[in-house]
Amino acid sequence: MDKEIKKLATHARTGINSASVLADLEKIYLEIFGKSGTFTNLTKQLSSIPKSKKPKIGQLLNEAKKEIEKTFEQRHNFLKKKRPKEFIDITAPGKKLKLGHLHLISQAIDEIVAIFSKLGFSLESYPEVDWDWYAFESLNMPKNHPARDDWETFFIKSAPKPHFGSQVLTPHTSNGQVREMEKLKKPPIRMLNIARCYRRQIDVSHTPMFHQFEGLFIDEYITIANLKGTLNYFTAKFFGPKRQMRLRPHYFRFTEPSFEVDVTCGVCQGSGCRFCKSGWVELGGAGMVHPKVLEAGNINPHKYTGFAFGWGIERTIAIKTGIGDIRLLYQNDIRFLEQF
Amino acid sequence: MNIRVPVSWLRDYLKANIAAKTIANLLSLSGPSIERVEKRGDDYIFDVEVTSNRSDAFSVFGIAREANAILTNENIKSELISPKGLNLPLEPDRTNPLTLDVKITDHRLCPRFTAIIVDNVKIKPSPAIICKRLESVGIRAINNIVDISNYIMLELGQPMHTFDFDKIKNHKMTLRPSREGEKIKTLDGKVQKLPKGAIVIEDEGRLIDLCGIMGGENSQITRRTKKVVLFVQAYDPQTIRKTCQALAFRTEAATRFEKGIDLEGIVPALSRAVYLTKQVSNAKIASELIDITAVKSVEKTISLSLNKLKNYLGVEISVEKTTKILGLLGFAVKTTPQVISAVVPSWRILDVKDDVDLIEEIARVYGYHHLPSNLPEGQIPQGGESDLAGVIELKKALKYLSLTEVISYSIIAKELFELSKTKEKEAVELANPLTSEWQFMRPTVLVSLAQVIAENQNIEKDIKVFEVAKTYIKNEGDLPKQDLMLAIAWQNADFYQIKGLVENVFEILLRIPKFQKFTGENHLFEKEEVAQIKVGESLVGTCGILNDQIIDYFNLEGQVAACEINLSIIYQLPTFQLSYKPVPKYSAVIEDISAIFNQKTLLAEIIAQVKKAGSPLVKKVDVIDIFKDEKIGKDKKSVTLRLTYQRSDRTPTQEEVIIVREKIIDAFSKSFQAIIRR
Repeated sequence: MDKEIKKLATHARTGINSASVLADLEKIYLEIFGKSGTFTNLTKQLSSIPKSKKPKIGQLLNEAKKEIEKTFEQRHNFLKKKRPKEFIDITAPGKKLKLGHLHLISQAIDEIVAIFSKLGFSLESYPEVDWDWYAFESLNMPKNHPARDDWETFFIKSAPKPHFGSQVLTPHTSNGQVREMEKLKKPPIRMLNIARCYRRQIDVSHTPMFHQFEGLFIDEYITIANLKGTLNYFTAKFFGPKRQMRLRPHYFRFTEPSFEVDVTCGVCQGSGCRFCKSGWVELGGAGMVHPKVLEAGNINPHKYTGFAFGWGIERTIAIKTGIGDIRLLYQNDIRFLEQF
Repeated sequence: MNIRVPVSWLRDYLKANIAAKTIANLLSLSGPSIERVEKRGDDYIFDVEVTSNRSDAFSVFGIAREANAILTNENIKSELISPKGLNLPLEPDRTNPLTLDVKITDHRLCPRFTAIIVDNVKIKPSPAIICKRLESVGIRAINNIVDISNYIMLELGQPMHTFDFDKIKNHKMTLRPSREGEKIKTLDGKVQKLPKGAIVIEDEGRLIDLCGIMGGENSQITRRTKKVVLFVQAYDPQTIRKTCQALAFRTEAATRFEKGIDLEGIVPALSRAVYLTKQVSNAKIASELIDITAVKSVEKTISLSLNKLKNYLGVEISVEKTTKILGLLGFAVKTTPQVISAVVPSWRILDVKDDVDLIEEIARVYGYHHLPSNLPEGQIPQGGESDLAGVIELKKALKYLSLTEVISYSIIAKELFELSKTKEKEAVELANPLTSEWQFMRPTVLVSLAQVIAENQNIEKDIKVFEVAKTYIKNEGDLPKQDLMLAIAWQNADFYQIKGLVENVFEILLRIPKFQKFTGENHLFEKEEVAQIKVGESLVGTCGILNDQIIDYFNLEGQVAACEINLSIIYQLPTFQLSYKPVPKYSAVIEDISAIFNQKTLLAEIIAQVKKAGSPLVKKVDVIDIFKDEKIGKDKKSVTLRLTYQRSDRTPTQEEVIIVREKIIDAFSKSFQAIIRR
């Protein structure tokens, strides 16, 4: 037996040291220590030898195993370390995978949704070609009302429908208000509507298509203080805690009281400059939902109150990033898009 | 609308020893906004934004009234002083008064008509202070009489007009609606061709006034004028508005008439005009007051529960404070412990209608900046997250897949619309487009993406863009179909690249797409290089190579692979559920098999054959390589498949694998006449 062990050990060493690639080495290892490997077979014979010889043979086997494994490890390390070492210039450019770009509008939408969803608002979607009823009349703006002049509205060539009126391109996201009330039937309502809106105007600060986001919050005992709290939360998160927010009286037919929401100018930080109005820039409108709008949505205005706000996303981007001409957002120049 | 208010003028009525800047800040917070404070000489000019409901504040005095209420509420000592002469008695100064014969054919057009004649008028330049004030707000001073009418409009918000009495034929006036096509030469020297229904005044055969908008040249004040008709009215706001719209012409006077006039302020304005006329030209009253009132103004009382007030504000304001605020604004207030009753002043009658309007008055003067700021409490609404949250995630994923998002106009030009070959009955067309550039709502996003590539192809190669937007298909008798689409366009990519990308998109969307031969009408893609995409039985999109017509129209370089996927439908369909399968315990046998097929033999069919013949040992079939070569033969292709043979109880034996492989090879030659490449 001793001879056999020695012979095996020598044979194994030669085999291992002759392996020139790792795969061969692994193969040789299995031939020795595998299920029916040469060494394994030898160990199996251990049971058939006399008891008195067992300790000695066992010890010999152990030593041989250790020795073979050591040889194996050395050879393994030798073969593994064959990869040549090169000089690496860590300042050379890496090999990147290509990433695309999200439009600034989408990035703003993402941020806005993230902020309001923490307050339990959920993002909803409504038609962008909608009935006059939802865009105006249910919002306390009867036909021929001068307040409609503020919304330079596009109309669609189509026959008007009784009660609902003509089809219009929604000039604001407020068409979602009564639609949301009809959908949920009963408060609490915490709706966020982000959509493309359309008005017949184009200049540095207007494009015929733009994006608005609209918040609607209706429940029992909702106060102006709640509106302030919500908008303060948003402006602090979106523009940063240094910017302040204020409400000014304003006039919208579908809210009473109505407000214009301002934040302190990011350029002058509120001291007044040529980019702002005495230190403030207008974000958009807000107000307490008019009882007539609640009634139009079949919600009892004696039981529920609420607030709403509707702001242009382009405007918030302009305020935040300093893009002066919002038409840039829709020219789709790849050199512009790839900046963001 | 914005008005300009010189602070020195404001201080005629607002006695408060406080800096202009402070007045501006406080007004902005609680009343009309002061958008800019401009220094002009030793004076300041406020640029004030007045909202359209506040016709009472379109004047220097109106702003003073607001400021007085707001300053007083902030505990700043302040007093409101009325202009002189508002209560001047309008009695003739002579014994045989002159007369003017006034007839109004339709009293709805003119709720209140007042006029008075003054004589002994000497036309000369206005005093320096009036000239200066008019000029500081951008109105040219003309003469002492004409300037008074402008001065009164700016001071009190009441537009007025002046006629040369001697130029009114037979001293007769008929106020009536105009007939279509009638003409009048207005004070600016322009001839206006009138629509039907404008309000006009005729003397005898001549139009002498386009009421509420601009007077006629034929009766205007000149240097020789001796007798003047001072003329103060209220007109029907809707009629004035319609006329201005029809003429595309609007004046400061018209803007004020459109918003509505305080009927009780008309006679005081006339008195003030007489007072000033006497001051600046020694005029004498030469007639009785003509005052024709069609509508008797009614007093309006509004009740507001104090509980409701508190529920709106989120804070309690004392009854005393509430009463004081409303009083400062001109409301006559009575209170009980629960309810405030307020009589609306005549100058707010068109604006303040309900208790919520009273809440606004109290809250704004109290100061929104003094109200607390609290996040709302209460239950979060039922109902889960809408699909749109998924859209944001999808867009982000596409960004990481190296696509760039564009946002293009949903309104497109007729030419682009026609390129989509949409049927006329499906067209959603604007009735009043801004320009021909924006005339149709787009039925597909792909034409816009092709345009984006065209506009950028000289800047960058192989552009890969996407957009998520609604498309619009007319739906007779109802709103258009407005489904949310994901469109992708990829320049210089082939069908398999766009298909792979679409497969990625569906992995993100957690739905399994099927690609089938396109069966519908298709005007965007090459006929032989397009597939329709289904999830279950629902058609959800198309992908392929854009056709030559589109490539030629935009002069695109190379080919453009594209897809349009209907997210509105997809989000309605169930997602697949990811489930746990144990990782195989025993290793698989993996081998490649290559065969030559007819070019048109579909891979889906080949793979189906493999799975059928190889079941259950073949667990996975991947396509490793496809190539075409003359050497293989015309209309032939070589396909290499990688087969995974696997068992759950042990590693398959060589013999098992050989048997299954032979079955597959057999099936290939029987079903496809394929030749195995060894």
